[in-house]
Parts: sequence; structure tokens; C-alpha cells
Amino acid sequence: MTLRDVEWAACLLEPRHDRELEAYVRRELGAVPSAVPYFTPSPWLVRAMASLSYNGAPLVHIDYALADLVSLVVSQDSSCRYCYSAQRTVMRVHGLAEARIRQIEQNFLEAEIDPSTKLALDLARRIARAAPPPTAADTQSLAAAGFAPGAIRELAYQAAYSVFMNRLMTAAAIPVASVERMERHWALGWLAPFARLVMRRRWRRGEVTRLSPEQRAGPFSYLVHALDGLPSAPALRTALDGMWDSPLLSHRAKGLVLAVIARGLDAPRAEQEALELLAATGLAPREVEPILTHLGSPALDPIEAALAPFARGTIRGRPVQMQQRTRALRAVLQPDEVVEAVGVCALANLIGRLDFLTRLEG
Amino acid sequence: MSGWLAAACLGALACALGLWLWRARGTNARLRARLGTTSAELERLSHAFARFAPAELVERVIASGVPTRGERKEVTALFADLFGFTPLSECVDPSVLVRILNGYFERMSGAIIAHHGHISTLIGDGILALFGALEANPWQTDDALRAALAMRAELEAYNGELAGEGLPRLRIGIGLHRGTGIAGLVGSRELMQFTVVGSVVNVAARVQALTREHDVDILVTTPVRDALDPRFALRPLPPSRLKGIAEPVATFAVLAQPAALAQAETLD
Repeated sequence: MTLRDVEWAACLLEPRHDRELEAYVRRELGAVPSAVPYFTPSPWLVRAMASLSYNGAPLVHIDYALADLVSLVVSQDSSCRYCYSAQRTVMRVHGLAEARIRQIEQNFLEAEIDPSTKLALDLARRIARAAPPPTAADTQSLAAAGFAPGAIRELAYQAAYSVFMNRLMTAAAIPVASVERMERHWALGWLAPFARLVMRRRWRRGEVTRLSPEQRAGPFSYLVHALDGLPSAPALRTALDGMWDSPLLSHRAKGLVLAVIARGLDAPRAEQEALELLAATGLAPREVEPILTHLGSPALDPIEAALAPFARGTIRGRPVQMQQRTRALRAVLQPDEVVEAVGVCALANLIGRLDFLTRLEG
Repeated sequence: MSGWLAAACLGALACALGLWLWRARGTNARLRARLGTTSAELERLSHAFARFAPAELVERVIASGVPTRGERKEVTALFADLFGFTPLSECVDPSVLVRILNGYFERMSGAIIAHHGHISTLIGDGILALFGALEANPWQTDDALRAALAMRAELEAYNGELAGEGLPRLRIGIGLHRGTGIAGLVGSRELMQFTVVGSVVNVAARVQALTREHDVDILVTTPVRDALDPRFALRPLPPSRLKGIAEPVATFAVLAQPAALAQAETLD
């Protein structure tokens, strides 16, 4: 089954071209995905889409092919039609036969996937579902299969990044027609070898790089530390700072979104960090607790009151439900604020899903 | 002569082998296509069933049969039942009755799913819905009450439609209770469902029955009241004895709520 049967609403954002941002994305990814113009009101978000990917933050430990598989199974699990079709296209360009892609998607033919890949994909699925979140025990089988601690962290990050992209595309209902057409295009097979030449040049092996002292400070620094050594760590630092400094939503509204999603994902470290950020805005933990317990309070302004249940709705659920919530949000927020809200929620989902990394030893 | 014969034999053998390979390839392709179709169907079912049972449980069932292990979970159970449905079933045409019932279930299940609940069982005209059973849900009790309020509103709208057709109004009783139960696949080989067993479900069903006694439509227990957003307006009722429970159980009627509070999670 492909995801074409999954209900998908009409796009909820207006595209707006921004040459500078699109040039940045082209430099990082080699092309500008059709989704980019919908997110340009939040420049940090467009930059994060590119810089957090393995093109922007090259892989050190795991294979690019495995990262592609992770993205495919997470997108399939999240029913994100946009990411799923885009990833299938990428994998076909990289020379994977349609039959092989089907085998991987149909997890039931497990015998044909090598055991260590299957373990890696199982962890990716657990991160995406977060029901319940993975534990240290879940990573032990990967370690036994030969995955080094750095590889496990990189794998987890790739899964969480896929969730980030899934939430962006799904909550905004980015049009899927063009990516789904491309995936089925008759010329894809013929053009793939040439496209592969271009794309594989970007598959450079990353190097272990330690965070600089400046990169060790800022919101969610514990998570950036947990990824230290991976090129994704400084990229995440930049994305987090960009999100926090963006003026489109107040710090208090963003802090609430981060806290709500951390609570829903059972991510205590992320929740604690969000509470500290909220405390810095003047909202004490005892004032936040009733808000987090009931997703509302008379103390919230209309934007915050709309954002709390919206943020919760991005944690899990069918695309159409998420998209209905985004439509409802448009009644309260300005269009640019909606883009920002979708971006903050997507990033909060990435942060919360990586919370288990902070509980791993070593 | 014998050389020609040998060549002809070899040629015939090659032709036969070629034909056999060609047919085998065709058979292989057909089998592969059938396997692909079956796998796709299995995957479609897996996705569909993930709405009724945790995705990982569905995968375990597909991979290795029905697991017998249950899991202790904190859930909020919502039990809903129609008042006076049996007399109604005796006075309307069976086809009309089925239509009324299906319309009712359609609206009620929409309200439950929109508020993060899942329907565990339909028992006649009764509905058992669970919140927090598929995955941990820190907002399960608020969700359950909002679902109950949405059911109340949906039924009101449905009654308007029924009245337009000259059909009798429906009345509903809803009981809510929060507690711990064992979640898992329960049933026989022929009929199995993901549900929660334990007193949490029984108490919800019995509290639902109390709605008739107190002449209200939604009743909640103390654990539900304690977990609810305090902004919900409740009215305490005298404690009642419930079958199988030693101490009288305190219940609270749910009053009309401010729209913003009742609809915090409502989808348009």
C-alpha cells in the first residue's frame, strides 16, 4: 500500500518566494523542494529544514542508505504523504528497485532485511510513535548488533528529524500532487543514473566535531550536548536559537508549545527545560502546571489558548485531524504566526522524541 | 546424419528449456504480483487496525500470532447507553431502527475519535470508549469529558433531524470513571478485540445506569472529578450503591459548559 489513500486536506499556507532563502536551500540540498515557499515567513524554519538534514549535517557513523530507510519508514508510520513520496523518489534515484522498497515498507517480509537494519528501523519506528518512548533497553540490542553509541545517537537523530519534517508537511497540508507524480514518473528510471551522480556527490562523510563553548549554551543545550560529536549538534543549536529568537510568536507562547509537547511525549528533561524557559518569561512552574495538566487556563491570551491544544494535536494522530486543527488555528493567528506555530511544534516534536538520549549511558 | 540428429535433439532440448524458463518466469511474476497484492492488503489492514489497537500490538499479532500478555494502564472509561431503546425498537420499522442506530453510532464515534478516544466495544445500543488505552495520554480525563459533551451536542443535533422526520427523540446516559485496568487483546479465536478489563469499565457502566435514577445525561465519579479541569461545572449528587462495590459511590452531574472550555479540542 502506498499512502495515496490517506486523506489529505487542501494546503493551509500561502506560498511566498524568497530568493535569498531559496538560494540557501539550493546550496545545502542541491535543489529547492516544492514545500520551501510555504515556510518562508519563518526564515529560521526554512534554514533548519535544510541544515538539519543529512545534506546540511553530514553523517559520521551510519550509512546514507540506512538514513534513507529510516526516513521512509518514519514517514510511512506518520502517514506523511509528502515526505513518503519524496523519500521514495530519492531512494529510486539512488538505485533501489521498487520491489526492494516495497519489501522494506512491508515490515512483514522481515526475513529479507538484514537483522541489524531491522533493529535500526525498529528503533526509528519507536521514536516516531513514542508510545511509549524508547528506553535504554531498546538501544542495547542495537549495541549488541555492533552499533556504536555515536551511531545509535545519529540513528535516533535521523528518525527525529524525519518526524520534524513529517509534522511540517502534514500540519501545513503541503500539496502532494507534484511529489507523488514525480515518484511515479516514467522517466525517473532513465534519469536516475544522472541524478544519482549529482546527489551522491553530496553524500560526503562527516567528521566528528566537538561543540564550541558558545554552542554549548542556549535553550535545550542538554540535547545539543547529547549529540556532541555529530555535525547535527551545531546545526540543531543554530535551529534552536533561530526558533527562540524569531519574533513571530512570544517566548511565552513558544515555551508553552514546547512544554505541552514534552508533556505529551513523556519527555521529562525537555519539559524541565521548557519550564525553565517559561520561568524566564515570568511564568512560574506552579502557574504552568495547571496549564499543562488541562491544556488551558484563563491566564492564557487568545493565541496561547489556541496554541496549547494545537501543539498537543501534533504529537500523534491522523493527518486529516492535524490539518483540521491547523485550519482552526488560522481563525485565531495571523498567517505568518501559523507558519511559525507549525515550525515550533515540529521542532518540539524532534526535541521530545530525542529525550530518551539523555537517559542513555555513555 | 547422426551429427544432424544430435544437433536437432539439442535444439529441441534448448527450445523446451527456453519454454520452461519462460513459463517459470511468468509463474514467478504472477506469484510475485500476488505476494505484493497480499502484502499491500496486509499493510492496509495493519494501518486500519492501528486505530483500534496499538500499532506495535498489531505488528506483533501479524508477526507471531495473538499475544496473551496484558498491560496495566491508567485509563478513563466512557460508557454510553440509549434510554428507552427497547420500547423504541418495538414500535418502529426494523429498517428505520437500523438507520436511526447507525446514524447515532456515526455521530457518537466521531465525537469520541475527535477527542482522542477509541471505541472499544459496541454492546447493542451501548458504547464503551477508552481514553489513554492505545497510548499514554496525560489529558485523558479532560478528553473523555469533552467527548461526552460533544456527544451531548451531537445527539441534540441528531434529535433535530429525527424530529424533522417525525421520529422519536433519543436520550442518552453517559458514565465516566478513571482507574487502572488490564489492556490487551481479549476474546476467542473467532472474535478478539483490544480492550481494557477491570473495575474501571464496570464502574463506568454502572454509573451510566445511575443517570436514569438521577435524571441526568452525564455522570462522573470522584477520580474523574479530581482529574478534571476545575473550570468544568459539576453538581454533586448523593452517593449511590453500585453492584459489586462495597462503599457507596459519589457521583457528579455535568452541567452546561462554556463553549470555549467544552470545545478546546473540537475539530471544525
